[in-house]
Amino acid sequence: MSERRKHLEFLRKTAKDALWAGDYDRALTLYEDGLALARTWKDRDLEDLFTCNRATTLIEMDRQDFDLSRLKEILLRNPSSYNGVLAAQVSANAHEARNEYAKARFYADMGLQKSRELGIAEGVERGLNQLGNLELHESQFESARALFHEALERLEDRGEGNSHRAALYSDNLGYCHIALDQVDQGVPLVCRAVELFEKLGAKQALDYPCLDLCFANVKLEKLPAAETWGLRALELGEQFRRTDVVKNSHYLLAEIYSELKREPDADVHYEALADFYPNFPMLKNYLQQISLMDVINLRA
Amino acid sequence: MSSSHSTRKIHLVGSRIRELRKGRRLTQMELSEKIGVAQSDLSRMEQGEYKVGLDTLFKILQVFDLKMGEFFGETEEPATEEARQVLDDFRSLSDEARKEVRDFLLFKKLQESQPEAPADSDSPLNPDEEKPLNQ
Repeated sequence: MSERRKHLEFLRKTAKDALWAGDYDRALTLYEDGLALARTWKDRDLEDLFTCNRATTLIEMDRQDFDLSRLKEILLRNPSSYNGVLAAQVSANAHEARNEYAKARFYADMGLQKSRELGIAEGVERGLNQLGNLELHESQFESARALFHEALERLEDRGEGNSHRAALYSDNLGYCHIALDQVDQGVPLVCRAVELFEKLGAKQALDYPCLDLCFANVKLEKLPAAETWGLRALELGEQFRRTDVVKNSHYLLAEIYSELKREPDADVHYEALADFYPNFPMLKNYLQQISLMDVINLRA
Repeated sequence: MSSSHSTRKIHLVGSRIRELRKGRRLTQMELSEKIGVAQSDLSRMEQGEYKVGLDTLFKILQVFDLKMGEFFGETEEPATEEARQVLDDFRSLSDEARKEVRDFLLFKKLQESQPEAPADSDSPLNPDEEKPLNQ
């Protein structure tokens, strides 16, 4: 590997760590630095790679100010290479973030198929996880569970059982079990995800596991534990600007306090949730009377 | 929040969506397009098998132009300010005091359903009703 490549690989690794830790600005700066260097050196492969990584960072930041057609162009130019697979999978993420689920599925399928053809193990696992997330969105918990299970199994077979991605897939698999009322099977998987993310310093990735454990504990009627996890999820959701996590946390916390007969605390969260739906001024009053716990999909 | 409770709630939502859709003469295709889900998912939703996010649930309400209570089959008018105040007062009471209020309400309902009760009676209840059931 040339010195230039080594330098850019170091940049990529540092940026990836920053991304997992939730330091998005730093990750973005590092990827943009790498992109500028790759362009200066006229290294097309690295330019494509950094373009994909930069787009991933922006998607994580809930920003859409990147050129999606650029990713498609990378895919067309490199249909049978690692960069092509990556471009397909980042395109899938971008479409998912835009609620364009059919397109997201198209590119996720393509990324998975190409990964299988090219023997890119990481791409296969990522593709399975992407498709699992799309199934979750459609409330297809059983098929999602099978996809996450396969992704995790493959990762573990490659000795990557203690990685960030293992934690991610473990949480996703755990949530499927919880949603299917197999809470006893789901909770250990989500707890494993929390433990791994904490160990790896991936603070931003802890929001969904905390939310999932809150949800599981509500189902188990262990309300004090549910409250602890819910408050943690809310804090993380607010810190990393994850609107869906914040909304779901407010809803779950309101339900918990309502069950605990702590009405003033419940009202705080009902009101915070209602603020997201200004077209429904009576929302709080209705939610005070009706529990939606059992019809809610936290990943929809 | 037990499983049995869960099944009932899901069924309730699904069946209400189906009733409301039919009431508004919408096909599954038309409603699924309006709320942004696949027709097959809407079908599962109506059968009580599909769980949705908060956003989707509120989109459905927007399509039907409903209040939450109507969505769940509650047809009463929204609570008045007086009713809300009574509810707030009730919630602020202890469990024991709430029980007393419920007993008093029961008495008032019984009293109103028996308008010809003897004027000289001090007892709110018919003496026969105070006897244990096994006597």
